[in-house]
Amino acid sequence: MIGEMVGTYSSDSDKKGSDETLGLQDEIGEIQAAIADFEIGKKLNVAIITGPFGGKTTLINEIEKLNLNRVTKCTFSEIVRDKKEISFTEDTKRIVLLDNCHFLYIRKPGGFDIFYEFLNVISSQNRAFITTWNTHSWKYLNEAFEIWKYFPVQIYIPAFEKEELKFLVLKRYGKGEIKFKNGNESEEEPLIYVARYPLELAALGKKIDIPFLKINIPSLKKRLLNEKEEEVTAEHRVFEKIYLESKGNPGIALRIWELGLDYPHIELKNIGQFSYDIELEHEEAFVLSLILSYEILKKSEIAEMIGSKLRADEIVFQLLNRELIFETKENTFLIRPEALQSVIAYLEKIRMVW
Amino acid sequence: MVNGNSSREQLLETVKSIEIQTIINIALIFLFAFILGRIITILFSKLSDKMNRSDRVKVKMIIPAVKFGIYIIAFYYVLGEMFKIFGPELFLLTGLLGAAIGFGIKDLFADIIGGVVITFEKPYQIGDKISIGSYYGEVIDIGLRATKLVTPDDDVVTAPNSLIFNETVASGNYGNSEMMVVIDLYIASESDVKTAMRILREAVVSSKYVYISSRSPVIMLHKALPFYTRIRAKAYANDLRDEFEFESDVHTKAWIELQKNGIRAPQLPILSIPPLDE
Repeated sequence: MIGEMVGTYSSDSDKKGSDETLGLQDEIGEIQAAIADFEIGKKLNVAIITGPFGGKTTLINEIEKLNLNRVTKCTFSEIVRDKKEISFTEDTKRIVLLDNCHFLYIRKPGGFDIFYEFLNVISSQNRAFITTWNTHSWKYLNEAFEIWKYFPVQIYIPAFEKEELKFLVLKRYGKGEIKFKNGNESEEEPLIYVARYPLELAALGKKIDIPFLKINIPSLKKRLLNEKEEEVTAEHRVFEKIYLESKGNPGIALRIWELGLDYPHIELKNIGQFSYDIELEHEEAFVLSLILSYEILKKSEIAEMIGSKLRADEIVFQLLNRELIFETKENTFLIRPEALQSVIAYLEKIRMVW
Repeated sequence: MVNGNSSREQLLETVKSIEIQTIINIALIFLFAFILGRIITILFSKLSDKMNRSDRVKVKMIIPAVKFGIYIIAFYYVLGEMFKIFGPELFLLTGLLGAAIGFGIKDLFADIIGGVVITFEKPYQIGDKISIGSYYGEVIDIGLRATKLVTPDDDVVTAPNSLIFNETVASGNYGNSEMMVVIDLYIASESDVKTAMRILREAVVSSKYVYISSRSPVIMLHKALPFYTRIRAKAYANDLRDEFEFESDVHTKAWIELQKNGIRAPQLPILSIPPLDE
């Protein structure tokens, strides 16, 4: 075969176990410690905070698994409108897990009643509340309502490391199932290659790629030490690129992988470098910030928050057209994972999100 | 007398000997300085519009200083040209110039000095919302002679720079991109003030124009007056250019919700109270 070096998936991930929460062990430990403290009489509410596709549901599911008989779990999948959803009966266990708490408010006058009730519940009941929040909603509620005062334990889910992302992506394939190609013309792996570092320019709200020379360590090791086993350079470079593009966000990494995969092959050049030149009107940016903060919204909910169905139709059409959001089968709207970093950079530039 | 006449004649002779080329050179230097100043203003303004909120103001701060630098260099070259022509008689010309400043162009001179003071002391900057004299608006340009403001009604006001020596200047944001906006709502005295305050606060914090941080908090105030109640929100507009849109957005949303909750505006009878002197 001329031209393309092919690596095979020789996953070392098997050695690390099949735990989905790889990389979140410290956070799990911290939450378990808070639960233990609660059992000995200390009242601690926990807020787990991360951005869209950041892995908060995975983390809270793991907490549920670890404490199966002592917790009651409730997941909010849309904006909560009925106080009954947050009123807990005597049957409710003493530890309550609440996933997606950013659905507890509507950003409009008169839209915070459920939220006030929620704050009342978590501060007055003798239960420990372990909650998950979208980071942008959390920051907004923090500035507007000082919500941090109700949550002595705040856990920010960190970005994944490259190896953790690799494990997350490859765990669903068998050994050697995926063929990695680096797309080079020569059969030899280069010792030095040009990598591109995606740099978000916060001041301009844009992303640029900085080319830099990088030494191909696996290839160097292979040549110097004659390590026949180490035929993983293409794989190494594919995951390096996925890691740089996703900035360690597991949801974005999976999406980049899916977009680049031509099963069973994946080629370095197909790992896209996503950069969106975003320039929006004020209200369009506001709607984008709402979708970012809630993670998933219906058009009717957007219309309710901006006060006009007509404008909501128009703006959603614009955002779909610019490929910043996408529509699910259930007619809800989400930010495209591959556009997420650019959207955040733009909205932070104009201070629409904090 | 003889000496005075001969000096005058000598000066006249010198003036007559000025070549057209020299005058063109001086005019070109001024023209070049003016065009360069305009280009830099446009370029920096465009660049600043692409920057984030805080950096935008920083970029705009540079514009007046750069323009003054250009004008100073232009004056230096013009004086050089003049010295070539007049030589020692330049001092005589300076005397005449002094007299001219004293009688005719003293205001222009005061404006230029005012421009220098504004550039270096920075009582306001390009992009600030200021009140100066009887004018209020956003500063769009600080020139050698005058400052240009755009009023809320989109009028461009050219205020001479010397105004800063005689008038008080109030800057609403003083170099920040956010700006405090005071929003008042007047409700009937018998209204449920607690509910009204909550609604106004929610209207403020949910507005698309708001900026909230620990340094830019939302402050709520209540004042009971004899015939009505005033509730006031002090909050920051994310972009000072959206000052009035922010106020309008909050008013619209708050009143819709206030009416849903049975809270109404002060009623007409209080307005028909006879004046005190009757």
